[in-house]
Amino acid sequence: MRKPSIGRDALVAVALLALLAALPMIFPAKSFADFVMRASAFAIFATSLNLLVGYAGMVSFGHGLFFGLGAYSFALLMQKLGTSIPVAFALTVFINALVAAIIGAICVPLKEIYFSFLTLAFQMLLYSLIIAWTAITGGDQGLTGGVPRPPFLGVHLDDPHHLYLFCCTTLVVSLFLMWHLVQSPFGYTLRMIRDNPRRASFLGIQVWRIRVLAFIVAGVFGGIGGVLISLFVSSAYPDFAYWTVSGEAVFMIMLGGVSVFFGPLVGAALLLLLNDLITRVTEHYSLVLGVVILVFALGLRKGLVGFVMQAWRKYAPAAPGPGKNPGTQGRH
Amino acid sequence: MLACFASASCLVTQTTGGLISGMLLFLVAAGLSLIFGTLKVINFMHGSLYMLGAYFAFTIYNVTGSYALAVLGAALGVGLFGLVFERLFMSRVYGTDVLMQLLVCYSFILILDDAVKIIWGAEFRSMGMPAAFQRPPIMVAGGVLPVFYLFLIGITVLVALVLGFLITRTRIGKIVRAAAVNPTMASALGINTTMVYAGVFALGSLLAGLAGALAVPVRSLVAGMGFSILIESFIVTVIGGMGSVAGALVGALLIGLVRSFGSIGFPLFTEGIMFLFMTLILITKPTGLFGKEL
Amino acid sequence: MLKIENLQKSFGGISAISEVSLHFAAGSLTAVIGPNGAGKTSFFNLICGALRPDGGRILLDGENIAGLSAPAIVRRGIGRAFQIASIFPSLSVREAILGAVNAHHRWHARLGRRFPLTVAKPQADEVMELVGLTAQADTLSGNLSHGDQKVLDIALALALEPRVLLLDEPTAGMGPEERRRMMETVRQLWQRKKMTLIFIEHDMDIVFKFAQTIRVLSYGRVLAEGTPEEVRRHPRVIEAYLGARYDAEHPP
Repeated sequence: MRKPSIGRDALVAVALLALLAALPMIFPAKSFADFVMRASAFAIFATSLNLLVGYAGMVSFGHGLFFGLGAYSFALLMQKLGTSIPVAFALTVFINALVAAIIGAICVPLKEIYFSFLTLAFQMLLYSLIIAWTAITGGDQGLTGGVPRPPFLGVHLDDPHHLYLFCCTTLVVSLFLMWHLVQSPFGYTLRMIRDNPRRASFLGIQVWRIRVLAFIVAGVFGGIGGVLISLFVSSAYPDFAYWTVSGEAVFMIMLGGVSVFFGPLVGAALLLLLNDLITRVTEHYSLVLGVVILVFALGLRKGLVGFVMQAWRKYAPAAPGPGKNPGTQGRH
Repeated sequence: MLACFASASCLVTQTTGGLISGMLLFLVAAGLSLIFGTLKVINFMHGSLYMLGAYFAFTIYNVTGSYALAVLGAALGVGLFGLVFERLFMSRVYGTDVLMQLLVCYSFILILDDAVKIIWGAEFRSMGMPAAFQRPPIMVAGGVLPVFYLFLIGITVLVALVLGFLITRTRIGKIVRAAAVNPTMASALGINTTMVYAGVFALGSLLAGLAGALAVPVRSLVAGMGFSILIESFIVTVIGGMGSVAGALVGALLIGLVRSFGSIGFPLFTEGIMFLFMTLILITKPTGLFGKEL
Repeated sequence: MLKIENLQKSFGGISAISEVSLHFAAGSLTAVIGPNGAGKTSFFNLICGALRPDGGRILLDGENIAGLSAPAIVRRGIGRAFQIASIFPSLSVREAILGAVNAHHRWHARLGRRFPLTVAKPQADEVMELVGLTAQADTLSGNLSHGDQKVLDIALALALEPRVLLLDEPTAGMGPEERRRMMETVRQLWQRKKMTLIFIEHDMDIVFKFAQTIRVLSYGRVLAEGTPEEVRRHPRVIEAYLGARYDAEHPP
């Protein structure tokens, strides 16, 4: 196994960021920048879900809860409390962590399908809350009035160029942190728990606690995705907490490859491209997307990146990745 | 809301309203539970089957004028649809990742939602009370009890009894239970598990379609109407216990009544109470009130 | 070191373990034998926390660990290997053993340090070398041969530096030559690590060749205990398990 090093990873991250920053000079169209910003939000979200699904073997159907929660928390904090952006960001992280801790504590001890469905049920609970609490959330119209973007530390998010850089930076930093996490002992413990929770407990690991921690981390990063989307649309919509967000995230992960760290990122970009393509061609978006997903689910199983990685693995030494198919939780 | 408990008429109205909600929910949840108990897959698109049942019944009634035909046609139609879905699509992802199964179901939810919009339009539709039931309601203690409600409750109770009988007393029921508990062994004993799976899926779908058809006179139709009942069905099976028909009945009635009484209070109250119940059960008796260990 | 007092466990009215009292001296190498269904694996499960006893005490260096959770017992120094190798298929041998070492040092939840910690890595390498898996360090655990998987299973338990190591049928599923090699490895490990080693075994040749002392279980009770010589001559053991001809056919 190649010796991992923070230094080298940081260098790669900086290079990636530089590349992303330079891209608008090659593709000056606004739609390109918009695409990258949206993709950033969803890429962070999908990667955070893969922490649970791919690495920890915890199949959550309701991860969209944190996307919506992140978006609404941030937007409301900015709008109603008039805090600065860094403060709102930090508070959103805190709120997501807290909610994740509570929901995680309830859901994690449950067996596989119960866990999956209960997370979804909680997501729909949040959705109902958003729709019903019209006074605060604007109900099914979404948050009206826009999200103020006061300058901070010389960054003016009203300037589209600044916003673009902010999204890219958040993307790169979030991915870097998550990558670092899966490379850490904690990341390997997650994989051990995914593969064989009983054996892990016989190594002295308190499986429940680790799983809740993973749930919290995933919830936090899911929320960060929500922050970006809310900045982008300058609002927050109930759709962000609707179950389809979770379904699409699952599709992103499978599309890009669940066994590879960057799979969800690729999948997010691909799905957004697909969405744009479909909406340009027809108004029956759900129908076409449904067919695509179906064809994919019945045909391609490993996802595109996973497919490529498999070929790569034949010629290169084993690179650290989530490994094989996500296992099942099980109670012990 | 508390004022309602003091008024007999309010009590009657809300209780009957809750009962029919519960009955519809029971049919859907029973189907879901049956499919899960036997095939070990969660039919995530079960709500869409309910939706199809409603739309089928709506159309058949508008074309034929006979509600009986509508209910029958819708139930059978959705049962058939479920059968085809299971054979062509779902069976391909048995034994794979639950995520794959989720994606297959999710794709169908998307497809069906749009298909419904294309065929029937995106607006809310409603059928109104079928001619056969346009009679004056029965008055109980000052509260209103529409005749249709009695019909719905009656049909559902009948179905519940038949289902219970089928599962526990008949040879078919034994075969299904055998295949559920140990498919390899059952297959080695000559039971055609493929047919059992197809049959159970069709039956579960039929129940959902039946529920949709029965719901049409009292609910409005719109694409996507199936999803919330899916979530509620799941909560019902959690409370009642996965795989238990009796549990599904108790759970569904509970939820139905909570919804009914809650709706005249703070709207979020119902969601909160439901979740409270569910969380309590999960903490105290995780297999549900009547459930057995999965 | 490990003292079992009046251990009891029943499953739905059927008693799996009844009034079992045994003592395992520190640093001993003991075989636990007995017919199928004698309760040997249940016995192990009770000691390492997979099962809760209905009664009795399990004293590890004087501390009663009966009823504690598996992770808690593991942390007190009891390691366990399984009859069917229980490993982490998607991790390489090195990663899995590193994971076990990290767990032992309670570093398994660390976010900060990168995976090959300067302390953990040499320890993991040492364990790999002890069991002879160094050549397979980068092989995915799931791709190992059956025998190597059993060895890995033991290595995972070893990484915890246990004071007591329980091996459940370490040679299960192996041919005669492989068995001897496995037991040789086990004996060498035992000598080097000076731990209390208890193993369940069905192959009597192996048992009499490698065990220091033997405990015989039958129908959930202790039938006999002693040195190999004592046990092979024990009339009740012969009657219940070995068969009268064994001693004649297998001279010591």
